[in-house]
Amino acid sequence: MCGMCGLLGGGNHWSNTIPPGTGANTRRQRLIHVALANRVLASFRLKLDDFHGQSFVLSSPTGTSELVGDFAQVWRVAEQMLGRPLDPLTLFDADESTPPSSPLSDDRVEVTTVHRFTDEQSAS
Amino acid sequence: MSPSCDVLPVTLVTGFLGSGKSTLLADALHGDAAKDTAVLINEFGEVGLDHLLVGEVDARTVLLDNGCVCCSIRGELKEALATLFSQRARGDLPPFSRVILETTGLATPAPIVATLLADPVIRSHYALNATVTVVDALNAAQQRARHPEWLAQVSVADRLLISKSDLVDPTDIAVLAHTLEALNPAAEVVVLASAADKVDMLFAPTSSTDMMRRLGSGQRALGRGASFPGFDSAASADRATESNGAGDEGRYRAWSGDPASLAHRRAMPSLAVHDRPAPQDIVSFCMQIDEPIDWQVFTIWFTMLLNRHGDKILRVKGLLSIAGCAQPAVLHAVQHLVHPVLHLDAWPDAQRRSRLVFITEGLARESVEASYAWFRQRLEEPDH
Repeated sequence: MCGMCGLLGGGNHWSNTIPPGTGANTRRQRLIHVALANRVLASFRLKLDDFHGQSFVLSSPTGTSELVGDFAQVWRVAEQMLGRPLDPLTLFDADESTPPSSPLSDDRVEVTTVHRFTDEQSAS
Repeated sequence: MSPSCDVLPVTLVTGFLGSGKSTLLADALHGDAAKDTAVLINEFGEVGLDHLLVGEVDARTVLLDNGCVCCSIRGELKEALATLFSQRARGDLPPFSRVILETTGLATPAPIVATLLADPVIRSHYALNATVTVVDALNAAQQRARHPEWLAQVSVADRLLISKSDLVDPTDIAVLAHTLEALNPAAEVVVLASAADKVDMLFAPTSSTDMMRRLGSGQRALGRGASFPGFDSAASADRATESNGAGDEGRYRAWSGDPASLAHRRAMPSLAVHDRPAPQDIVSFCMQIDEPIDWQVFTIWFTMLLNRHGDKILRVKGLLSIAGCAQPAVLHAVQHLVHPVLHLDAWPDAQRRSRLVFITEGLARESVEASYAWFRQRLEEPDH
C-alpha cells in the first residue's frame, strides 16, 4: 500500500522482484512491464497503464476501466472484459506458419515423463 | 531482532490419511529436537485425535479442529498462526523459533501454501521452509488411484518420505521411489526407516544444489537413451537399490540409467491402477533455456500461463538465469501461487542456464515451450 495516499497495490507480487545487479529500478521495470503487456493486449484493443506505481488500470475501447493490483489480476480482468479466455498457449496460433527459433535446449525431449492411466494399462 | 519482528520458518507436513505424519512427528520431536518448535495440527472430523498422539509437544500445539484446511478453515489457520505469533511476542509461550504445520490427510496443500504466501499478516511473520510429504508405501497405489489429494500432496513436496517400508517388499519400495522421482523430479525421496536423522527430514531447508544435482543426473541418465521401451520394474528396482549407496543414507538421489524407468507407459505391478475414475495424464518435464531470460518477458508469460492454466500446473520449481544478473533466481510455484523469488549467492553447479521442472496435469510440454518461445520472439523484438 502506498503510505501517502493509501492506494492498495500489488507491491509484494512476485513479478515485482528486481533482479540484483541488473541496474533496474522499480519504476523503470514497471513501465517496461506495462509496455510489454500492451504488446499482448493491443491486439484485443485493451490498454494497460501504470497507476501511481502501485496498481494498474486496464481499459477497454468501450470505456470500461478497472483498477488491478498485479499481473495475476491483469489477465483475469482482461478475460472478463473480453468475455473469453486469454490463453498463452494458443495466443499466437495465427502465426504457426512461422514458428519462432527456440531458445530452449536441444536435449529437452528425453526428459519428459508421462504417467498415463488408461484402461489398457490397468489391464496389463 | 525482537520476537515481534522475527520471520519464523514453517515446515508443512502433509500426506494422505494414515500415512504416518503424526508418527513421524512423535518420533522426531523428542527432547532437544522438540525444543523451540511449535506444532499446529489440523484435524478432520468432530474429535481431534492427532494432538493426543503427538503427546510430548502438545503443550505448544494449537489444534485446528474444524475440518479440512483446504476448504473451510483457511481463516482459522490464519487465525491460529497469528495467535501463535502474538502469544510468542507477549511471552505467553516460550520463544519458539520454528513451526510445524501438520495438515489433515485429506488436505490439498495449495490453499495452505496460499495462506502462508498471500495473507499480508501471516507472510510478514512466517516463511515456508519446506513441504514434507509422507507417502504410505503399503497403500500408495490405492491412494493414488482413488484420491486426487495424494497426487497434489506428492507434487507439492520438497521432500518425499516413504513410510511403512518394513511392511512392503524392498523391490516394491524401490519401484515406488522411482515412481515418486518421476512424478516430482525436484523432490528428494527418502525411505523414512533408513533416514539417519528424522529431525533433519523435517527442518532441513531445501537445497537448490541438491535439486540441480537431481535434475542433472536425471538428464544425463535420460540422455543415454532416446526411446521409452516397456517398464521393467524388477530391473529398475535393482538399479535403484544400487544407486542407493551407503553414503546416501537411504536417499534415492540418482536416477536409473534406463529412461524406461522414468516413463511409466505401462503400469507397474505393485502400483497398477484399476479404478481411477477419469484417465488423466500427469506430465513432469524439465524446461531448459540456454540463453539468459528477459525477466519482464518471463513474468508476463508466466503470470498469463498461471492465470489460465494454474489449476493444471501442480508444481513448478527451478533456477532462472536472468539477463544482466549474475545470481540465479529460485522460482517456486504451486498452482496459481508463486513463492517470493529468491536469489542465490552463486550457481550450484557449472550449468548456468535456466532449468524449470514442471509437473502438470493435462498440459503438454511442447505447448508450454512453444508458448514461451512465441512470447520471447514477440515481446523481445524491437518496437516498431
